[in-house]
Amino acid sequence: MSPNSAGRAEKLGYTNVKVYHEGLPEWTKRNYLVLSAQFLKEAWIDKDIAHVLLDVRPAAEAEKGFIKGAVTMPADKVAANIGTFPPKDKKPPVIIYDQNGGEAAKAAANALVGAGYTAVSIVTGGLDAWTAAGYNLESGKLADTVTYVPKPRPGEIAIEDFKKLVETTPADTLILDVRNQDEANAGMLKGAKLIPDEELDSRMAEVPKDKKIITHCSTGVRAEMAYHKLKDKGYNVNFLNAKIEIDSDGKITAIEKP
Amino acid sequence: MVRKFILQGTLAVLLASGHYSACLAAGEEKGAAPAAPPAPAPGKPTIAKICSNCHEAQAGSLRGNFDGVAYKTQSLQLKIDEATEIIKFDKASLKTLNIQPDPEKPDEILRSLKKGKEIRVEYTEKDGVKFATLVSAKPPIKVAPEKQLNTVEVEKLVAMGPEAGKYLLIDARPAPRFQEGAISTAINIPFPAFDKMAGKLPADKGALIIYYCAGFT
Repeated sequence: MSPNSAGRAEKLGYTNVKVYHEGLPEWTKRNYLVLSAQFLKEAWIDKDIAHVLLDVRPAAEAEKGFIKGAVTMPADKVAANIGTFPPKDKKPPVIIYDQNGGEAAKAAANALVGAGYTAVSIVTGGLDAWTAAGYNLESGKLADTVTYVPKPRPGEIAIEDFKKLVETTPADTLILDVRNQDEANAGMLKGAKLIPDEELDSRMAEVPKDKKIITHCSTGVRAEMAYHKLKDKGYNVNFLNAKIEIDSDGKITAIEKP
Repeated sequence: MVRKFILQGTLAVLLASGHYSACLAAGEEKGAAPAAPPAPAPGKPTIAKICSNCHEAQAGSLRGNFDGVAYKTQSLQLKIDEATEIIKFDKASLKTLNIQPDPEKPDEILRSLKKGKEIRVEYTEKDGVKFATLVSAKPPIKVAPEKQLNTVEVEKLVAMGPEAGKYLLIDARPAPRFQEGAISTAINIPFPAFDKMAGKLPADKGALIIYYCAGFT
């Protein structure tokens, strides 16, 4: 996608466009990422996606008010506690905050990145940004040991179950393809209905309320966005969290976890 | 057809990073052009929408998704969005580019193309019958070395910040992935939303713009 975007920018007349082609896989070997307080809430906590949240302020500070689910681990203790983290090959997403997104969070993040963890992020602006956004704080005792249990994303359907549904789609089930028209032109699953994710809000009336809906796209990303849109409107819906390729006969030629 | 940006999509990168595939262009050498390239028939598309992200319609060429081949009748089928083109060819003289023959059927090279693969077909036309002279498949993504930044270079810029470093860093992944964590100072313009969000690009056309996504995996 980045080369495609760069090409489009050049078409618009931009003359100094570069691509960081190694991209995130290389970046995260040596660096942490950042996210806003809003996205910590919306993309992780509200969606109930498995992650580790570290409050790296002094324990006494943390107990006065912290973000739901946080584990207390003062920044200067992180390096010594690396052994208590889930193994790095499980790639646990670790999200770190301090009071204001300052040096404490950076030090903790660098300790984890240095130990080989590749999904480490800092909350920009720290707890101050969280409270400024009007979000709730928890008080009392925080957990003091890190736990991480990977789990399917909410609404995800198992790949095997999806394949069975494609083979024989029950009358009460509709497979909803949310890719764009030009992608679908190369091939669609038999019996699937196409509504590109971008058009879903305006075309939701076309989705039958009385059927179980399974959304898919080509990677799982748009299928999940569509899942949330439909779920908000009260649909019985699941989504395929997988990379999938479909040929012009409607056959699945490749399907695997993203 | 000199293109500044070498823009071909590997399926792997595109799948890893989100959506689109785009049709190729550079790295592709031009085959022998027919003496008089036929003008495209009015009304019938010669380029699929997905290819037009990077290419323009071109006389004597069709761009779309490979749909099938019949060696008995020496014809191939090409989907250009909703439309289907049947194009005759001569097995002995047909040229191909970026297609690896199947060792079991080396004489029937088009059989190794997967359905849906983005291809370009150069053709001549006589009495309304299209005749293919070259079939070229989209090769893997390549970005010209002078257009690339490496991790150390990006780290230096990010450490300076966008003002001192005079850059705009753009994460081209889908919004949900950006929200889960991104490189410091990046803004998010997912590739499919490029047009809609073009207003976020700097007014200065000479400004340094850096794109990244989930890399090539």
